[in-house]
Amino acid sequence: MLRVILKRLILMPFLILGIVTATFVLAQFTKGNPLISIIGARALDNPDIVAAAKARWGLDKSVPQRYLIYVDNLAHGDLGTSFRTKQPVLDDLADRLPATLELVICAMIVGAVTGILLGVISAQFRDTPADHAARLFALLGSCVPMFWLGLLALFVFSVQTHLLPGPGRLDIRSDPPNTVTGFMLIDTLLAGDWDGFVDAFRHLILPSLVLGWSVTGIVARMVRASMLDVLGQDFVTMARAKGAGEGRVLFNHALRNALIPALTILGFTFAYLITGSVLVETIFSWPGIGSYAVDAARSLDYPAITGVTIVGGLGFLIANLLTDIAYAAVDPRMRSAA
Amino acid sequence: MMATGNIWRRGLFSAASLMIMGASAALATAGAARAADSEIVVARAMDLNSLDPARAYCDTCQIYLSAVYDTLLTLAPDNKTIVPDLATSWEVSPDVTTFTFHLNPAATFSDGTPVTATDVQWSLERLKNIKGGAAYLMDSLKSIDIKDPHTLVITTKTPNSEFLGILSATYVGIINSKLAMAHGANDADTASTTDTADTWFLSHSAGSGAFTLQSYKADDALRLKRNASYWGKKAQVSGVIIKQTADAVTQAQMLQSGAADIAMQIDPDTAKTIHDANIVFTTVPSYNYVYAAFSPIAKGSPVPLTHDVREAMALAIDYKGAIDFTVGGAGNLQPSAIPNGFPGTADLPAPVTDVAKAKALLAKAGYPNGFKIGLEFPAMDVYGIDISLLAQKLQQDLAKINVSLVLKPETFNVWAGDIDSPGVPFTIGFFAPDYFGSAQYAQYFGMMAGMPWGKRAGVGTTPGLDGAAELATFNKALAAAGPAQEAAYKEIGLQMIADKIILPIVSPDLVLAYAKDISGMRYSACCNLPLAEIVKH
Repeated sequence: MLRVILKRLILMPFLILGIVTATFVLAQFTKGNPLISIIGARALDNPDIVAAAKARWGLDKSVPQRYLIYVDNLAHGDLGTSFRTKQPVLDDLADRLPATLELVICAMIVGAVTGILLGVISAQFRDTPADHAARLFALLGSCVPMFWLGLLALFVFSVQTHLLPGPGRLDIRSDPPNTVTGFMLIDTLLAGDWDGFVDAFRHLILPSLVLGWSVTGIVARMVRASMLDVLGQDFVTMARAKGAGEGRVLFNHALRNALIPALTILGFTFAYLITGSVLVETIFSWPGIGSYAVDAARSLDYPAITGVTIVGGLGFLIANLLTDIAYAAVDPRMRSAA
Repeated sequence: MMATGNIWRRGLFSAASLMIMGASAALATAGAARAADSEIVVARAMDLNSLDPARAYCDTCQIYLSAVYDTLLTLAPDNKTIVPDLATSWEVSPDVTTFTFHLNPAATFSDGTPVTATDVQWSLERLKNIKGGAAYLMDSLKSIDIKDPHTLVITTKTPNSEFLGILSATYVGIINSKLAMAHGANDADTASTTDTADTWFLSHSAGSGAFTLQSYKADDALRLKRNASYWGKKAQVSGVIIKQTADAVTQAQMLQSGAADIAMQIDPDTAKTIHDANIVFTTVPSYNYVYAAFSPIAKGSPVPLTHDVREAMALAIDYKGAIDFTVGGAGNLQPSAIPNGFPGTADLPAPVTDVAKAKALLAKAGYPNGFKIGLEFPAMDVYGIDISLLAQKLQQDLAKINVSLVLKPETFNVWAGDIDSPGVPFTIGFFAPDYFGSAQYAQYFGMMAGMPWGKRAGVGTTPGLDGAAELATFNKALAAAGPAQEAAYKEIGLQMIADKIILPIVSPDLVLAYAKDISGMRYSACCNLPLAEIVKH
């Protein structure tokens, strides 16, 4: 297993370079003018202003020259400066990635726990009202638009009942803690700010539930299908015949085997949500990487687009690696095969 | 095996228990507000491109700059009168080319440094030489002579009766030159490539305004704090937080929940759905507008966009219906590309709808059966108007004269690039003022050689658009004042209407939504929302 991990880690920089090259080339041929984000649309017809902006942002150089400069800078840990925010892309990503990770991790916990439970219940009580209810719940999670659900959740829990706070990571009027990890839950605790921790936790609940519900839908259906398959197999019958309790049969014997396909889905869903949580981030004014990616794409902010792509690519590669490790942990056959 | 199973079960139960405990803790503290004083929160989709006065160019930039950087002059609440700010008095030469300003000796920057004529000269020359989006405001600047630390004389290349208005634009904010220079700023001719202060301006301010920059995190929040040593009337609130809130419905919900005190991008339709005694909605006419426009020289039109064709299409548009359709009636007709209320717009004839006449004109032009043409537009919401919705309305209206519109929605960046190169025959655009004055509209929309829409329309080559007469009238307006200036701009307005290149469709009202304990809210043509006047009771 260690050899597989090492092999993956060695290949990772080459894969990233491939992703960077593809993104860089594709971005250059995208229709539109990145100067609009820098000088505004009105100044586009002023050749002096256009020339000055091109020179300042390196857009006066040819695409191959820009690519070589970018790769050279990348090798030195410099992802360039965003056309839109005017800040180093690395700083932008360092600001936004923890916000997204905090949200996505919480959403994944919500989605995985409820999805697995619903999948097990649904399989165990197949074709009963409990199964139908669980499937309906899962289906709604997959098909209800997240932006609508987010707005509805805010309306009910924040505007009408005041049970939970509105958008943002903290009460906007409070002072944020010093950034240590970028994870608000951790940073407030490190600062000894208990009120801040509770506030950050409360702000996480609604976006995590909304985002997590979509994960629930995917996981529940996957676990149900796997469980139905596993529950019909001989080793389950054998376990029951040997007098194992139903809970033990379900969780010890069946679920452990049924989880293997769900792990793949969880791994890729996690990586997808890092850049794909944009709707929830928009509705909840969550300063994460999803909305950063969309704004970068809209404004043809080449350095930011490439930076986000690197993060997204790394996310998928790492998620893939972790999924394989998790496979090995759950399935001894994988360990021996590796 | 048994042990592993227990771990699984324990894990699941522990996770569920944690969630329940967490939710309980959250609900137990529900509604507990954290410390707040007279700080106000504005929920807004920020479009900031920079916090450097010489590089910033956007609606939110106007709010920020007017709060942090004082200008020589400013615009009174009547949105027409130029009043003193850093300059206590000024004289203008009879030929409107020489402007002498006397600075208020009491004016200081937020660090206590006096505001001097040197700072003014440096700020204006830097604005010109940085070549940012608002650099065009200094196009007419010829020289600046410092007479003494509090007196300076500005000379323009040509007569410019709007120069005082230009100096009230927020982008002409006066910067503490020594402080900015210490952090990479300069006003040299080469500033566009050698000035490196824009990153410094993202975390620092160097103005003499009522607020200073506390912090800025792109896509999250812009925090201002009251300038405790402000030389003028101090701000009434201790600070302002502009919270990035992209969605108008979320803005409304934040207002309702008390998370925000002010929201000013709520569209009229959303405003109608909110019935909350704690929220005040004030609807005011704005100077913003959305227009349709023709580029007769752009490739891609199936028929020549002659004056008859353009007039026919203009007559087919149901302008009042478009206002109802897009902003629920909360808007106004606008006759010319110069917005209502600006110099030269009094008594201009409102646009009319006459489908029969439109059909006749189209037949006269040789297209009795109509034609099919593309309509490229930026697919976005602006000033509360969904431009895609407006495009659909135009499609319906023009279908009545058998002109079939093929809608081509694009992102803003693509659209803004396309209208310049390769050009778009028929499009939809939008515009908001940078200051109070009509010259900016003549310079952008006028059918004059070298002006953006003049170039797109083909002034000099398109029949009927020679540009000479309009340029002469424009020069007359720049050299005139009072009624003569008003008359000249009216002439330009009438010519714009006759040209049928720019067709203003909707001038939407602005919905100012705020908590009932807020007062002092107003819309300003130069500054958008003057934060220093807001009071939280």
